[in-house]
Amino acid sequence: MAVDLRALAHKTWRTIASIQTGVVLLILVVILSAAGTIVLQRPVTEPDEMLNAYSPQVLRILDAVGLTDVFHAWWFLGLMLLVSLCITAASIDRFPNSWRYFSRPYKYPDGSFRRALHPQKSLAIADEESGLVAAERALHSLGFNPERVVREDHFGIFAERHRISELAVYIVHASLLLIFFGTIVDGFWGWRGTLNLNEGQTSNLVELRDGSARTLPFAIRCDSAGQENYKDGTPKKWWSKLAVVEDGRDVKKKEIVVNDPLLYSGVRFYQSSYGPNGKVDKLALVATPSNGSGEKQEIGLALNDAVPLDADTTVRFAEFFPDYAIRDGQVYRKSNELENPAAHLVVTSKSAGKDFDVWFPAMDEVADNSKAPYQFQATDLKMGHFTGLQVSHEPGQWGVWSGVVLIGVGLAFVFYVVHMRFWAVPVCDPKTGKYSLWIGGTANRNRDAFEQRFNNLVALVEEELKTAPRTSSSEQVVTVAGD
Amino acid sequence: MTLIVLVGLAIAFLLFMAFLNVVKSGNLLSETNLLFATLVFYAGAGALYLGFGVTGTESYVKFASLATWLGLIANTAAIAHRWYEAGHPPFASVYEMLLSFVWTLAVLTLVAEKKYGVKVIGTVTMPVAIVGVVLMQLLRTDVHPLVPALQSTWLHVHVTLAMLAYAACALSFALAAMFLIQDNMKTETFLAVTSASTLAIYASIVLTRFEKWGGLSLVAWNPEAKAEVFLSRGVRLFVTIPDLGWLMTLTLLVVASPLVFYGLARWKNVVNLKDSFLTLANRAVFLSILLQVMALVMFVVRARDGRYPSLDADGLFPTTLAASPFILSGLVGGIFISLLYLLLLWRRPDLERLLPSADNLDRITYKTICLAFPLLTLMIAAGAYWANQTWGSYWSWDPKETWAAITWLVYAGYLHMRITRGWRGRRAAYFAILGFAVVMFTFFGVTYLLPGLHAYA
Repeated sequence: MAVDLRALAHKTWRTIASIQTGVVLLILVVILSAAGTIVLQRPVTEPDEMLNAYSPQVLRILDAVGLTDVFHAWWFLGLMLLVSLCITAASIDRFPNSWRYFSRPYKYPDGSFRRALHPQKSLAIADEESGLVAAERALHSLGFNPERVVREDHFGIFAERHRISELAVYIVHASLLLIFFGTIVDGFWGWRGTLNLNEGQTSNLVELRDGSARTLPFAIRCDSAGQENYKDGTPKKWWSKLAVVEDGRDVKKKEIVVNDPLLYSGVRFYQSSYGPNGKVDKLALVATPSNGSGEKQEIGLALNDAVPLDADTTVRFAEFFPDYAIRDGQVYRKSNELENPAAHLVVTSKSAGKDFDVWFPAMDEVADNSKAPYQFQATDLKMGHFTGLQVSHEPGQWGVWSGVVLIGVGLAFVFYVVHMRFWAVPVCDPKTGKYSLWIGGTANRNRDAFEQRFNNLVALVEEELKTAPRTSSSEQVVTVAGD
Repeated sequence: MTLIVLVGLAIAFLLFMAFLNVVKSGNLLSETNLLFATLVFYAGAGALYLGFGVTGTESYVKFASLATWLGLIANTAAIAHRWYEAGHPPFASVYEMLLSFVWTLAVLTLVAEKKYGVKVIGTVTMPVAIVGVVLMQLLRTDVHPLVPALQSTWLHVHVTLAMLAYAACALSFALAAMFLIQDNMKTETFLAVTSASTLAIYASIVLTRFEKWGGLSLVAWNPEAKAEVFLSRGVRLFVTIPDLGWLMTLTLLVVASPLVFYGLARWKNVVNLKDSFLTLANRAVFLSILLQVMALVMFVVRARDGRYPSLDADGLFPTTLAASPFILSGLVGGIFISLLYLLLLWRRPDLERLLPSADNLDRITYKTICLAFPLLTLMIAAGAYWANQTWGSYWSWDPKETWAAITWLVYAGYLHMRITRGWRGRRAAYFAILGFAVVMFTFFGVTYLLPGLHAYA
C-alpha cells in the first residue's frame, strides 16, 4: 500500500510538473478571463445596466457560477494558485538538471561528443603544445578566458561565456511567482476606497468598494483644491493641498496632482476627481434700505451666517439650492450641479416683529422681496468644491514591482544572453602519427549567428598557427579536472 | 524598367502637386507637407516592392528601400513636428498612434530586409504603411490637450512599447504567412482564410451597425469640439446614414460567396466538380474586391460630411470619417487582404522563388517573437505602473488589460511549445498567426466592442 501511495504521489507530481498541464491551465485562464471581458462584470457595472443586459434567469445563472465577477471568483483564484503550483513544480522538476549543467560544466569533450558536435573543425598542427597555445591566444583575443583542462591521459582547452543563461528561465519563473505572491497579498490584506473632502474638511473615514467604511489611524485635511483648464475648457490639471493630521498635529503636507499621489504609512491618496460640492462658500450682496434713507452696504455671507444691517434688522443666509425647482409653493433641490441656483435669505425686523423671505431669484410663490426693509442685489457667488481622492493600501505591490524588474532581467537573459562554449583538443592520428587540433563549439540559442562566430575563431586559430608557434608560457590557468 | 519610369513619373507628379500646395500654404515644413512627402515616398516604395514581388527584378528593391528611407525621414520629421507642436510624444489619439505605428513598421521593414534578407517583406508592410498614412490624412486632428490622467511619462513609455511590440507581432505574422506559402500550403486554403477574414470584417460591421430600413449607424461628430457626441457619460450618439446598410449587406453576401464555393469544392460528393467550384470561388474573390471598393468609396463619400438623422434624438447631426476609424480601417483592410490573395493566386511561383526558404522563415519568425515577447512584457509592466500612479491600482482587470495579458499568455505558450516541445514549422506558424489575431483583437476589438477604462485609445 505504501508503495502504491508513493507511486500515486509520483504520478501526481509528474502530472503537475508536465508542460501539458501547464498549457491546459493557460488555456483555461485565457478562456475564463476572456469570458470576464465579455460578460458584464458586477464591480464595474451599474445594477440597472446588468438588469437591462440580461434576463433575470440568465443573470441568476451567471451570478451563481460567478461569471459576473470572474476575477474575484474563488475558482479563478484557485486556478491562479494551480498555475503557480504548476510553475513551481515544473521549475523544481527541471532545476536539478540545469543546476548540474550549470555547476559542473562539461569541460572535456569525449570521443562520441566530438563526433556528434556541430560546428567543428580540425586543423593540422606541428605538436600538441603549439596547437593549444594558438587556440588559447585566439580565444583570448576574442575576449574569452580559456582554461586548460588536464586529465591523466589527455588534455584540452575549454572556454565559455554567459553560463548564467542556462538558469535564466528560472529567474523568469521565480519573478512570475513573486508577482502572483504580491497580488495575492494585496487581495487579502489590501483595500481600496474613496474619500471626498470639501475644502477645509478633515476626515479619516474611507468608503470602501463594498460600501463599508474604514477608519484610518490618522486623518486627512484638504486645505485647498482646484482645477486648471486648457483654453478650450477641457481640464488640464486637478490639484489638492493635503495635510496628514495625526494626534492633532500636521505630520505631512503635500500638493497632489493626478499621477502624483500622497503616501503616508503605506496608504496612498490619489487625486481622482474635482468638482463643485453644491455648497455655497460665500454669497456677496449689496443691501439698500427700502425707504431710501441710509447707506448702501456690501456684505458677504456664508450659509447660516447672520449679519445685522442696522439696530433693528438682521439678515440670515438660510438656504441655498445649486439647481432648484419650484412646485406647490415649495422649492426643491434638483441636483448638485450649479445649473440654476437659488438663495434664500431671512430678514428679521424687530420693530415689524416679523420675518421676510428674500429669494434670489424672486419667485412670486414664496418671496416677499419687495416688502422687506432692505432691497438686496447679489453681486457674486463663490461655490465650495470637493476633491475626490482614491485611497489604496497595497502591501503586496513591492513583490509585484520587484517581480517586474526581475522578469525584465530574466527575459533579457533568456533571449539575448547566449551561453556559448568552445573546446580545443589536440588529436593524434594513430595511423599517420600526425597531430591535428580539433575545435568545436556550441551555443544554447541563436545558432546561425554562433556559427559565424565559430568560423571567426577557426580563422583566428589558423592565423596564430601560421605566425609564431611559440611554446607555452607559464601564465596560463591550469585546472586539473577531478571528474 | 517601365515600372521605375512610371513610379518616377508618379513621384514627380505628386511632388509637383505638393510643391503647388507649399506655394499656396507658404510653409515648407508643415506637418501636412511632411505627411504628404511620407505618403509619396512610401507609395513609391510600396509600388516598387510590389513590382519586385510580381516581376522579381532585383534592382527594384534598391530603389524601393531608398524610397522607404526617404519616407522614413519625412515620417520622422512629421513625428518630431507633432511632438514639438503638442509638447508631448505623439501617442494621444488614433491619428498620433498611427503616425508612430507606421514609423515602426517602416523601420522594421528595413531591418528585416537588410539584416535578414527578407526582401519581399515590403510587399506586405509598405501597403499597410500606405493605408496608415492615407487614414492619417483622413483622420488628421488638431493637437488635443491631454486630460490629466494622460499626463505621465509612463504612459508614453507604455504606448511606445505597445507600438513596438505590436509592430513586431505584425511582422511575425507576415513572416509566418510567408512560411506557410513556402511550406506548400494549398492556395485554396489561403482562399478560405482570406475570405473568412473579410467576411468577419463585414459581418461585424453589419451585425453591429445595420439599422432599420437599410441604414448604417455611425457615431455623430461635433466639428467644433472635434470630438464624438455623447448623450450621457459613455453613451455615444449615433446617426443613421440611409441605404448604406444595404450596400454593406450586399457586400457581405458577395464576400461570403467565395467561402461558399470553397465549401462546395471541399464537399466530398462533388469531387469531379472541385476545380470548377474553385475557379468560381476565385472569380467571386475578384468580384468581391470590386464590391468592397464600391462599399469603401460610398462609405467615404457619404460619411465624410453631411448631416443625418438619429434614432435617439431629433434633428440632423453631422458625422465624419474621423468618428469611425475602425470601420474605415476594416473596409480598407478587407480590400488589402483580398488583394494579397490575388497576388498569391496569380504569382505564386514567383513568390516562392523570391522568398527565403521555409527553414529560414521559421527561424526569423521565432526571432521576431523573441523580440516581441519582452516588449509585450515591458509594455504591460509600464501600463501597470502608470495605472498604479493614476488610479491607485496596478491591475484592475479592465478588458484591455485582460486582453493584453491574454496576448502575453498566447506568446508565452508559443515560446514554451517551441523551446521545450520543439514545435517547428506549421504548428509554430499557426501559433504565431493566432498570436497576431489576439493582438488585433486587443488593439481594435477591445476598443470597439468591449467597454473599459482605455476609452482614450
